[in-house]
Amino acid sequence: MAVKIIESCVNCYACEPVCPSKAIYEAKPHFLVNSKKCTECEGDFPVYQCASICPIEGAILNSLGEEINPPGSLTGIPPERMAEAMAEMQGH
Amino acid sequence: MELPVLNDAPAAKGGCSTSSCGSTDNQMDSLPDSIREKVQNHPCYSEDAHHYFARMHVAVAPACNIQCHYCNRKYDCSNESRPGVVSEVLTPDQAVKKTMAVAATIPQMTVLGIAGPGDPLANPERTFETFRRLSEEAPDIKLCVSTNGLALPDSVEELSKHNIDHVTITINCVDPEIGAKIYPWIFWNNKRIKGKKGAKILIEQQQKGLEMLIAKGILVKVNSVMIPGVNDQHLAEVSKIVKSKGAFLHNVMPLISEPEHGTFYGVMGQRGPTPDELQDLQDSCSGDMNMMRHCRQCRADAVGLLGEDRGDEFTLDKIEEMEIDYSAAMEKRKVIHGAIQAEMASKRLEKAQKAQQIKEEPKLTTRPVLMAVATSGQGVINMHFGHAKEFLIYEASPDGVRFISHRKADQYCGGDSTCGDGESVLQLTIRALAGCEAVLCSKVGYEPWEMLEAAGIAPNGEHAMEPIEEAVMAVYKQMAAAGKLDEKPEAVRASAA
Repeated sequence: MAVKIIESCVNCYACEPVCPSKAIYEAKPHFLVNSKKCTECEGDFPVYQCASICPIEGAILNSLGEEINPPGSLTGIPPERMAEAMAEMQGH
Repeated sequence: MELPVLNDAPAAKGGCSTSSCGSTDNQMDSLPDSIREKVQNHPCYSEDAHHYFARMHVAVAPACNIQCHYCNRKYDCSNESRPGVVSEVLTPDQAVKKTMAVAATIPQMTVLGIAGPGDPLANPERTFETFRRLSEEAPDIKLCVSTNGLALPDSVEELSKHNIDHVTITINCVDPEIGAKIYPWIFWNNKRIKGKKGAKILIEQQQKGLEMLIAKGILVKVNSVMIPGVNDQHLAEVSKIVKSKGAFLHNVMPLISEPEHGTFYGVMGQRGPTPDELQDLQDSCSGDMNMMRHCRQCRADAVGLLGEDRGDEFTLDKIEEMEIDYSAAMEKRKVIHGAIQAEMASKRLEKAQKAQQIKEEPKLTTRPVLMAVATSGQGVINMHFGHAKEFLIYEASPDGVRFISHRKADQYCGGDSTCGDGESVLQLTIRALAGCEAVLCSKVGYEPWEMLEAAGIAPNGEHAMEPIEEAVMAVYKQMAAAGKLDEKPEAVRASAA
């Protein structure tokens, strides 16, 4: 039972100090979670602390491998609008 | 003692103009001497000091505790020039080294700010370690910090311990309904709180932090991002409130929202204000509050005079190789600062005398005119039109000359002239000067000369090396004498009338 930080992490440090189990550590190319220490905040908080401050959608996965913050959930940008904008930019 | 001129009201204002009854000078008068002294040599706070003194930011604070719709936390691009963007995050140790290297190399650098790329107070250990060490090791550097305010009440005590005399709070609203359109979430008490509820907490913390800082005697500047259709109508009220609580300066900045930045506003097509809209708002707030018009919305790792960025000279590998003897550097800095201050004092005096002269001359009744100026600093016209990356915009009127804003000459993405809609850099530059009727620079090439004239902007290279205000006034008088100010040009600003 542990969360996982994946490559879309931007190394902003925000999650590291809020982890109640000190399971998050700085690493290259991005922060990582020590799966032996991670408790998914059980017993400490009702919600994942790391994923509650993480600004990057999709950067933290739960133990089932699901994105805790799915596309659009943090920025408020509807995913289809984001896709359109990306396509427009690549057109240039 | 000559007062610092933060935001020149028309030099010889008689009575009340529509927007600013109670002039800037009077507001500065009300500041205690100790505060005025702190402000007048600060490049970010003092319009004339920004021509001489430099600032730098160290990016030690990557974490943030809120999300703003104008920010994209993924961004890291060396061609980008806007807040929240950096190339490398530094440890406090690296930041101290870098600051001392810059201070020794660029003695005009007097101000060190921590502004991100996240929120400095959401990284209290990294931020305060940097401040603590710099207060000890480089006591001749002023320290500043900017914050979104959420963690501010908890940090005031610690802030008051260091050599920090300025804190900037970004306050975009005092109404949670509006806040919900700007801040999608905050992280608060171990939870992510979205919408109006989150915005309400943020607003309360900002206001509480502002009051606590003022009670401690720490200078507070307020930044606001002007977002048309969201908070533009609301910012005059924000200005009134923060002034009544004791903030000494309000900096209304335009929203930057290019789609390629990937921010909510960028992607959703929220536009930024036009230069006219920004100026109108700044003018309408200036009656209540000192306005800051020369802000360049620097990157969180900017180095140099406002409008320039010498960060490339101080990358980590480069500072690693520098041997810095800081006590020797401090001696040298002291001498140079003294010389700059003497020059500024004499320029301030000269300016006041000129303003007095204008007052005594028969008063013109002509309309105001906007002019663009190309300068690389020292308060004089000393830059080629084609070399200017930005122009300073001044308004000349029968009341005198006042600084209005700066405008970027080239696009943020940095130099590909065929990027996007195929306009040349020159065309973009000329478009950026819309509303101006003259451009003053040290020289102008043949091609831009013709294009400027065709666009109704008179190129003028006759005042090279002259003080900006004097040159602008001279050109204004020339225009008046030539009868050019009797009629309005087609595109004149409504508010300039």
